[in-house]
Formats: sequence, C-alpha cells, structure tokens
Amino acid sequence: MKLTRRQTLGLLAGAGAGAAVASGCGGPQPLAAPTLASDPDARFLNRAGFGPRPGEVEALRKTGRKKWLDEQLDPTGSEPFELGLRLSRLEVTHLQAWELRDWPKSDIVRQAQQTDLLYASLSPWQVRERMVDFWTNHFNIYGNKGLAAYRIPTDQREVVRKHAVGSFPAMLNASAKSTAMLLYLDQQASHWGQPNENYARELLELHTLGVDGGYTQEDVMEVARCFTGWTEERGFLRPRGSFRFDPDLHDTRPKSVLGNRVHNEDGVKDGEQVLAILVRHPSTAKHLARKMCEYFLGAESLESKVESALVERVAESYLESPTGDIARMLRTIFTSDAFLNGAPTFKRPFDFVVSSLRALDATTDGNKPVLRHLEQMGQPSHMWPMPDGYPISPEAWNGSVLGRWNFAIELCRDEISGTSVNLSSLAERYGAKGRDAWVSAVFGLSAGAAGLDALRDAIAKHTKAAPKSKKEWAEVTALCLCSPEFQWR
Amino acid sequence: MLKGCESYHVAEQRMLTRRAFVVGGLIGAAMWASRKTAFAQALVRENGNVIVVVFLRGGADGLNMVVPYGEDNYYKARPTLAVPTPGSGIGRSLKLDDMFALNPDLSPLYPLFQNGELGIVHAVGSYDRTRSHFEAMSAMERGARDDREGQDGGWLARHLLASGGASAPMRTVAFASTMPESLAGATQAVAIESLADYRLNVPDDERSATHAALTDLYARHDDVFAEAGRNTLNALQSLRSYDPATSKPENGAAYPDTRLGQALAQVAYLVRQDVGLEIACLDAADRGGWDTHVAQGPWLAGLLDDVGKSLAAFRRDVGREMSRVTVVVQTEFGRRVAENSGYGTDHGRGSVMLALGGGVGGGRVVADWPGLSDEILEGPGDLPVTTDYRNVLSEMLERRLGSSTVGEVFPGLERKAVGLFV
Repeated sequence: MKLTRRQTLGLLAGAGAGAAVASGCGGPQPLAAPTLASDPDARFLNRAGFGPRPGEVEALRKTGRKKWLDEQLDPTGSEPFELGLRLSRLEVTHLQAWELRDWPKSDIVRQAQQTDLLYASLSPWQVRERMVDFWTNHFNIYGNKGLAAYRIPTDQREVVRKHAVGSFPAMLNASAKSTAMLLYLDQQASHWGQPNENYARELLELHTLGVDGGYTQEDVMEVARCFTGWTEERGFLRPRGSFRFDPDLHDTRPKSVLGNRVHNEDGVKDGEQVLAILVRHPSTAKHLARKMCEYFLGAESLESKVESALVERVAESYLESPTGDIARMLRTIFTSDAFLNGAPTFKRPFDFVVSSLRALDATTDGNKPVLRHLEQMGQPSHMWPMPDGYPISPEAWNGSVLGRWNFAIELCRDEISGTSVNLSSLAERYGAKGRDAWVSAVFGLSAGAAGLDALRDAIAKHTKAAPKSKKEWAEVTALCLCSPEFQWR
Repeated sequence: MLKGCESYHVAEQRMLTRRAFVVGGLIGAAMWASRKTAFAQALVRENGNVIVVVFLRGGADGLNMVVPYGEDNYYKARPTLAVPTPGSGIGRSLKLDDMFALNPDLSPLYPLFQNGELGIVHAVGSYDRTRSHFEAMSAMERGARDDREGQDGGWLARHLLASGGASAPMRTVAFASTMPESLAGATQAVAIESLADYRLNVPDDERSATHAALTDLYARHDDVFAEAGRNTLNALQSLRSYDPATSKPENGAAYPDTRLGQALAQVAYLVRQDVGLEIACLDAADRGGWDTHVAQGPWLAGLLDDVGKSLAAFRRDVGREMSRVTVVVQTEFGRRVAENSGYGTDHGRGSVMLALGGGVGGGRVVADWPGLSDEILEGPGDLPVTTDYRNVLSEMLERRLGSSTVGEVFPGLERKAVGLFV
C-alpha cells in the first residue's frame, strides 16, 4: 500500500533521526495546530490583535471584551509617548514624495518597514494595526517597483492607516488616487490611445469584485479606458508625485462597465463612477468578507458550512452600512463563534515577530537589525512583488522556521542591536516564580493554565526549574517562542 | 503493520497530491543518517535535478568570451582588445567551430565543450534597450521581455509558486547577502552568504542541547508547520558537519579562492548531502564586476579565469552527480562591439549564455548569428539579440525540472526552440 506523508514521517523518524515522533499508528494525534483555548481573554487578544503585552489580559478581564472592542473599532485616542517619539524621528512619517526625491530608495523602504513594526508592537490600537497589515497586503505595492517606493509612505498614511477600520469606499477612492498604486500598476503609462489594463484588472480582481466576481475581459478594458488620464504630477515646481488628472490623456468616449453607462462631462468622474459602482457591488462585499475571514480565521476553516455562513453575514454587515463600514464587518467576525472558539490561525513572520516583542515587553527601534530578521524569514513589509500581497497559508512559510528560531534565540539573549528585553525582571512583574509559571506567562496565561502541559513538560526536560542567570532565563524563553504553540494564535 | 490506520488516514490519502509526495520524499532525502532504505529511496523526488544560476553582474563581454573570430569586423572594431584567432601560441583563442573560439582565459572549460557537457548560446539577451544595469538586470531577473514589461517578482519565484512549493528547507538557496530579485516572492527561499550561516545562532557548545530541545518540541505536533520544523532540524543536522575549513571538495577539485568559487564549492556540498536542493543562485561579481569600461584586458582576464576555474572545479567536484545538475551562466547585456578610447567597452546588447552539465546538448555554439557589419549592429553599434534568453531558461525549466508551467513563469513569451537541452 501507498504510505501517507504522516506514516512515512513517523517511520523515517523512528528509523533515522530517532526523534520521538509518534508513529502513524499510535492513536490519532490532533490534526489541527495547538489551541490555547484555556483562557478566552488571552485568546481574544492573540486573535484580534498581535498578542498581549504583559498585563493586557488582566486589563481585558476587567474591561470586558465588548467595551474593548468598542474602543478598538474607534481608534481616535492618542498613541503612547514612546511610539510618538520614535515615529517623529522617522522622516517618512511626515514628508511627501517630492520631499523624499533625493533619498535612496532602500532608506525609504526601510523607514516604512520601521514605521509598521513600531506601530504594530507599540500602539494600543491593535485591531487597527492588524487591519493595517491586512490592507497593506490587500492594496499591495512593491517597494522595488520604479519610483513607487517614494510614494509608499504617503500611501501608508493617507490610504491604509487612515481608513484601516473606517469606510472601505473612502479607502478605495484614496487608493485609486494614490500615486504609489498608480505607479506600481503602470497607470501613469495609460492614455486614450493605449489604455493600460494593469490597474483596471487588479482593481476588479483583487481590490473589489474578486476573480469570480462576475466581470469580463470586456469590463477590464472598459474600466481601463475610464481611468485614462489618472496620473501623477510631474510638472516643474509642482508637488511632484501627487495625484493629477490629465484630461488630454483621457478617453472621452462613452464606456460601459458591468452594464452601467459611464460618460461624464468631467473626465475624472468616469473613474470615480467606476469606484462607486464597485463598492456597492455584492461581489465586493463577498470578496472582502471572505478575505477578512480568511485573515482572522485561517483559509482552511472556511471550508466548513458554518464559516461560509459567517462570510455571508460579514458581507451583509458591509452592504447594510451606508458608508461601507469596515468596523461593522470586524464586529461580526470578532463576535462569531468561529473567531472565539475556532481552530488556531497561523502567525506569519511579521505576526510572529510582533507578538514576540509584545509578549516580552521588548523595547525596539524597529531598525535594521530587527528588520533583517523579518527579511530572513521572507516577510519584509512592502517587498512582496505581486499585487496580491503576502500569502496566508502556513505552507508558504515553511522556509521561515530557522529564521524564527534564530530571531527568538537572539531576542531572548538580548543580542539584537536596538532591541532589548529584561526577562528576569519581567518574570518578576508577571509574578511568575520559576520556569513553569513563566512559560504560561509568555503565552499571556496564568500559572498552571491548561493546554500548555505538554509544552511545559518538553521544556522542563531541557531547562532548569528555577532559572537564575540571564542565560537560563533566555533558554526557557527562547524555547517558548520557538515552540510550535507560539507559531499559532 | 499499518493496516489499522486506514480510516484515520483516509482524508489524508485523498489529499496526497504530488506535492505531498514530494514533501515525503524530501524528508527521506534529508534523513541525516542517510542510509536510504528501499522505500525511502522510492519516495525521493522522481526528478532530483538541480539548477544552478550564475549571474555575471555588470554586463559581461560576450564577444571576448566567445570570440567570433570568423568576423573581420570584430578585429577591425577592437584593434587592441580583440582576442587572437585560434592557433598554437600564448594568448590564442581555442577553436569551437568555424566562427567561434573560446577566450583562452576560459581554457578550463574547453575540455567540457569538447566532450559535449558545455553548450554556448551567442547573441542572446533580453529586449531591454535602456542599457542601464539596473533596468536590464531587473528585467532579466523578473523574467521580463524588457524593462517596460510590468512583470513583478522573480522568474524563479514564479516557477516555485507555479510548480507547487515543496517544503524542503534547502530547496532554494541564494548565496548572497540579500535575496536576488529572481527569487523575489519566494517566501521559502533561503539567502545565505555561506552554509556556515545556516545554523542555530547559539554558542557552539550549546548547539547540540538546543537542537535536542527543539527536536522534542517539534516531535509533539502534526500540523504543517511542525513538519516544516522537523525538516529544518534534519537539514541543520545534515549541514552540521559542514566546515569550510575541513569540508574538502572531492575528486581533487581545486576551487579558486573567490566568492564564486567558494559558493560553488558549497553548492557541490549541498548536492552531495542530498538535502532537497533544487535551485541555487549565485553571482560572479568579484573584482568589481563585469562592467569593463576601461582597461578591460587584464580585468576581464581575471574575471574569466575565475569563471573558468570555478566551473571546472565544480564539475570535477560534483563528479557523477553532474548528470542531475545543470549550471546556467547569464548576464544582463553584452558590450559594444567597438572598443572605446579607454581600452574598454561600453554597454551593449547581445551577449552569451553558458550551460553546463546534465541535459545539456553541448559541444556547440547555438546562435542565430547576425554578423557584425555596420548595418546589422543595433543603436550605437551593438550586437543585436537574436535569441530571447527566456527561451533558453524555458527549455531548462521544462527539460531539467519537469516544469509544465513555463507559460506562468514567462507570460507572453513567444516560444522558439533553442535546442540547447536534449
């Protein structure tokens, strides 16, 4: 008989490496990834945000999840002093494309990556930051494409972070007029004589309707014609790099998009009308709902009937809202049973790094030494070349294992320049006396919490019960972050 | 003994796609004990082939690498830089056929050409006409027709995505400080400057203990990532014995002490270790690269000497395994036919590609040779490109890696048989 992958693995491990992998017949092992269901509040913070900082689980227990969510979905409060200070030192957080023109491209991308990492690890507005990650990938722009990099920081501010939990139609309009996006998808090369379909296609396929959203090649070509003339300012002494509509490049003849006639006196209105058609289209609602559910619940979980019903409900939340409110969609997801009790989802490298920094209350400048680790794991932000954003499937990240381990090891040994941790004093703050309680604390759980027994036992085999030296604390903590359990949320 | 497991594994078996099969095979391949049992062998990828992509950065002078000695115009255009016609004597080129001869600084490759292992394509390149290193290199690494084609992501990354990613931790390795653009979008690829970097970053005396602890942590779960963790531990174990100081090449191969030579030595090591390597990327950019604008003579000689000796050493080192290894050498563009006033050459268009090893129908210079007369030369006086570099790479992907998705790797490519691979 043919061997399955699992059987082979068990046999080979037994025969070769001698690893203690359970043999294929040793009774069913859980197929799913490790679940940390023992504390619903810890789980909630792990799944809605990047993961708790010390004390946040207890704080949530007092506030209650409903109130926490209300606050998170209206992130109008201030940012912590440390975050503000660090951001103010990054020029890209306040300069425009034309002010950055003399910079090397790599510095701009690096500062944009720093900005992302600082916000994600330090901002209390965790749901917004998860959505920043989501939209950065939904509206992906490649930092190495032509001059797009110079416009990425503005895009990140004015499109992504500004509207992350706000109105999708507003975000889509901002994105369509973002010169980072226009340059990335060759829109500036489009004119009435030769419409470029690149932006038009991705707008329909990725940004709104989805590939099965019911449009035709004809529609793509018509949309491309509608957007002719959408370009950027390049004039002398003008704010170069800002959006400009050039009527001379616009195709003024009538067009037909998804059965709607598009023909406006004011040429720029053609594109705007297309966007208005798209944001109210049921396929857009469905496409966004599905992607958001995949992002928060994992792609595989959506194969069940219950979860596909959830996609419908999330799509309805969007369509029922006159402003196309993203927060309403999130509320539907975050209060669903699938979110609270469903199978764990996988942390991409960025999630893994941020959750580690947060769990250990690390201070970081988000600069090169820590960014280098993300690059090694294959997920430097703004560096995904294709317009579809970094993949979410765990398989796509198989190559990141060693990078994760080395990041965890170096972080815990306090060897990443510009990033620091103080594990023993943190353990004291947690009130974690000894190794076993500390293992729980790293996961945001109270001492002895269920679900971690096997991990605690495995770590116990290799470490001291009462860590004393910096090195001993580092060993225990690194194993926590390296563990399979910590790669899931 | 596996009978009782059937129902438990029914769902899994249904999902046993080619990819899963490959994964299983790679685990077998990475087994550090490496005593292959009969059935472990059966699981090894049906096609364990490896491609090694060497990029000559800076625009290599194809006309002086593979000399069109049959063209009088070549000698007219390069009064000081031309390589002499074949013949006996120092500095004479090595005859390949009635038109072309090999630069004597590449002489270590000559026997490989003669025995049919090395093949050459001439007047090959992209349709990029910017003559800008950045644009042309980027176009080529993205697998685009030219700089204007909005093809994002690397051609090798697209191959990996389209062919379904196997999870061997060392399937794709770039010997570079940062990931080359040809692998942009390949989240599974590893960029290392040396194999010595592929290890757990703990002090040497703690490495065994850390490895053992991680082995225990990752033995307890069955999800895809735990499996990837176990594969990684196996790969670490296989590479553990690697020590640049003591891991000597085989068959008496002697690599030059250059980045290219040292990287190739490590590729050979990976091939021997059987860790599931499929793609290796490396650069030949020592000595300031191939951008030989001034005083080209001695400069190019050093570069060619490196390439010739490194590739020949690799061939010797890999030995019998070479039947499953194919090396391809490319550059972003060639150089102007006429030499400049600084005894160098400026940016041009067509250049050469070399292919060495398994599956190469070598011993030939494949060229749709346009000639070098003035009316033929392009723009400021450049060798026109008559073979699209993507057609060479397409053939390699299909013949060597069994790719059936070349259309996704090079969308819009007008296929034309080159015939370099058998």
